[in-house]
Amino acid sequence: MSELSFLQHYLAVGAIMFCIGLIGFMTRRNLIVMFLCTELMFQGVAINLVAFSQYYGNFGGQAFVIFVLVIAASEASLALALVVLLFRHRNTLDADAWKELKG
Amino acid sequence: MQELWIVQHSWLIPLLPLIGAAIAGLFGAKFLRQQSHWPIWLGVGAAAVMSLTLLFQTLHLAGESEAPAGNHTAMSEASEGSSKLSAVKDFFTWVSVGDPASNNTADHPQDVLGNPGAHFEVKAGFFFDTLTVIMLCVVTGIGFLITVFSAGYMHGEEGYWRFFAYLGLFIFMMCCLVMGNNLIMLYLGWEGVGLSSYLLIGYYYEKPSAREAAKKAFLVNRVGDFGFGIGIMLCFVAFGTVSYFGPQVGSHTGLLELAGGHLSAPQQHYLYWIPFCLMLGAFGKSAQFPLYVWLPDAMEGPTPVSALIHAATMVTAGVYMIARCGPLFVQNGTAMTTIAAVGTFTALLAATIALRQFDLKKVFAYSTISQLGFMFVAVGALCPVAGVFHLMTHAFFKALLFLSSGVVMHAMAGELDMRKMSGLHRVLPITNIVILIGCFALAGFPLFSGFFSKDDIVGAAFHKHWIFGALLLFTAFLTAYYTFRLYFRVFQGPLVVPEAPAPAHGHGHEPDEHATASQSAIETHTAPASGVDVGQAQHAPLHDDHGHGHDGDHNHEPMIMMLPLIILAIGALFAGYLNFPGEWFAEFLGKSPSLQQTFKIAESVNHDPHLAALFGQPETSHAGHNWMLMLISGLISIAGVGLAYVMHLRDRALADRVARGLGPITWAIEGKYWVDQIYQGTVVEPLRLFGKLFAFVIDRFIVDGLIGLAAYASWAWGYFLKLTFQRGYLQGYAASMLLGIAIILLVIFFR
Repeated sequence: MSELSFLQHYLAVGAIMFCIGLIGFMTRRNLIVMFLCTELMFQGVAINLVAFSQYYGNFGGQAFVIFVLVIAASEASLALALVVLLFRHRNTLDADAWKELKG
Repeated sequence: MQELWIVQHSWLIPLLPLIGAAIAGLFGAKFLRQQSHWPIWLGVGAAAVMSLTLLFQTLHLAGESEAPAGNHTAMSEASEGSSKLSAVKDFFTWVSVGDPASNNTADHPQDVLGNPGAHFEVKAGFFFDTLTVIMLCVVTGIGFLITVFSAGYMHGEEGYWRFFAYLGLFIFMMCCLVMGNNLIMLYLGWEGVGLSSYLLIGYYYEKPSAREAAKKAFLVNRVGDFGFGIGIMLCFVAFGTVSYFGPQVGSHTGLLELAGGHLSAPQQHYLYWIPFCLMLGAFGKSAQFPLYVWLPDAMEGPTPVSALIHAATMVTAGVYMIARCGPLFVQNGTAMTTIAAVGTFTALLAATIALRQFDLKKVFAYSTISQLGFMFVAVGALCPVAGVFHLMTHAFFKALLFLSSGVVMHAMAGELDMRKMSGLHRVLPITNIVILIGCFALAGFPLFSGFFSKDDIVGAAFHKHWIFGALLLFTAFLTAYYTFRLYFRVFQGPLVVPEAPAPAHGHGHEPDEHATASQSAIETHTAPASGVDVGQAQHAPLHDDHGHGHDGDHNHEPMIMMLPLIILAIGALFAGYLNFPGEWFAEFLGKSPSLQQTFKIAESVNHDPHLAALFGQPETSHAGHNWMLMLISGLISIAGVGLAYVMHLRDRALADRVARGLGPITWAIEGKYWVDQIYQGTVVEPLRLFGKLFAFVIDRFIVDGLIGLAAYASWAWGYFLKLTFQRGYLQGYAASMLLGIAIILLVIFFR
């Protein structure tokens, strides 16, 4: 196993990236930027997975990360297609345009 | 008596009228219609035949049991005889609550309040003795006569089937009342006759006054029934049973025998209050002060109803109850005096009111209240024999009087005001004779039945205290006077009939367009004074159309209505001789275990040597009839009739002058002492106000408000959720998800 302090650093980086992504998702109004932040959350989790995999010498973590990357990519294409459609309806990328679902 | 077929099959007696009622009720409207009387005639007739057969069989048994002479003492002879002359017949267990194995004997009466092993049991069963047989014959016999009369009287009515169905129901309930072998069967019948009374008084339900009268009767009765119910509960608490005699007379398991036995201190305490509670029920049902106000209003019902229910049978249930449950009453001298005092007061009060009543039926209604007062004085003065004897004779002559009023009412097209009719002996000859017999009986005229029965009561009253006797004698005088005031006004004197038909009392006849021209057809008390001449001049159209609302020549006295009247008249004439000169009735009744028990207790409480005669018990020295009292009461009755003759036949204006002269007294009497108004102000209006308070304030604001509050709370919470969590704001939803996950993780990691 690698040294403990290195694992914590990697986990910290992963956590920070996740949190930045989370906060970004919750505060930004631009749909594309919100999606960017969700991708950022994915990567944060991926870093954590790789770090654990390296620490325990178990390649399962890294294999899972390959899956995550593939899924993130396919999901990105879907999401951007949706965003384009949403843009065509309201002619804006502002998330607030879809607040009709309130109440 | 136990082995008699009728006793073993006694369920037929109440059930046949009930089945008749069911048939009339279910099939009367569409199919039977004007023939709806047949099921009732058959049912009540069968019950009457069975009751009379039972009477004869009982008489036979009573004769047998007196045959073995010898060295028995009077008491053991009587008790030997009585065990042959009583029977308990249970059909099924109606109510059974608690542990049947718990010890409910005389040695260990169970107190419900402290003992979890107590057992409340009510058997649906009948008790037969001489008292039951007498009451049954009165109820079914007179009931049958009245059903015959009603078929003629109610002919053509829309609700013909309804009337007979209710009548059958009434007979069923009344039979349960008199035959029941425990207080709950009595109460069943008690409430049931109250219901039937309500249904029948409200027969003409389209008339608002009839509806009000029906409600009033039921509610006032209810007040009495409340006291009665409490009394029954107290009986159970004190003695652990509500049955009169248990499975057999002599087993000392029933109320009436336990009450005469050894009593523990709490039992004696209860036994002080039980009579007061029970007598409230009797006062309500039998229209004594202060619960008499429903009876005059009950005259809204059809006349046969007034005859049967409010004269002959239902209202006598109170007297029957006190006679039956005598052992529960006699230990409490105060209670007996209360009963006698209330009876006397009511008798006098009602008699004075009757003096200035002008409606035929109302006079008889107040008369009934008054005569019931006499019966209560009798039982209160420790003479149930006189009370039941008067009950029987009164049933005959009062039913006769009411039915005769019905005939008059029919002939006068619904008019009942005495002031508007006169000299009817020309129009209704048979009725004239029978009503004269009835009036003599009511007035206690010598040689008629009422004389003997009333005399017995007055004798007992004097025996208790001279003041009761004196007041009753005065009341008897008033009774004779107002009775013959009615007779002389309506049946004697110049012929006067109402000029135009009165608004129909629900008749099938159509109002006639004839109207006599003569103004003087309307009578006030200032009619021409000359006594008995026909006075043709003032009433022209007598010979062509009777001048009252019928078309064509109509027989006012059809045989279907006259035959019952004649039979009742025979009873009113001769029933008195059942107890004079030989005291057969008293002896027969005295064989009832109820009376024997009551006598036993009364003797030990009162140490009065004359008590035996009052209870119909065999006695060592026969007291004989009180000839002096008979002479006095006979003279008083004759005097009353004479006064009525003077004031209402010889010189009719005299009555009016006397009434005006006694101004304030007349005003009080005509206002009926404002009892109804007092009730209205002190009871009815406060209750109405209370009801309004609950309906319009508490119900509307508080109850509905609470419900509204519950609804508002749901809405408000939803609104809150809507405002906070459903903004349509995508990131907001993400934040909620995050919040949820954080909470879950916290819970997991910090469990």
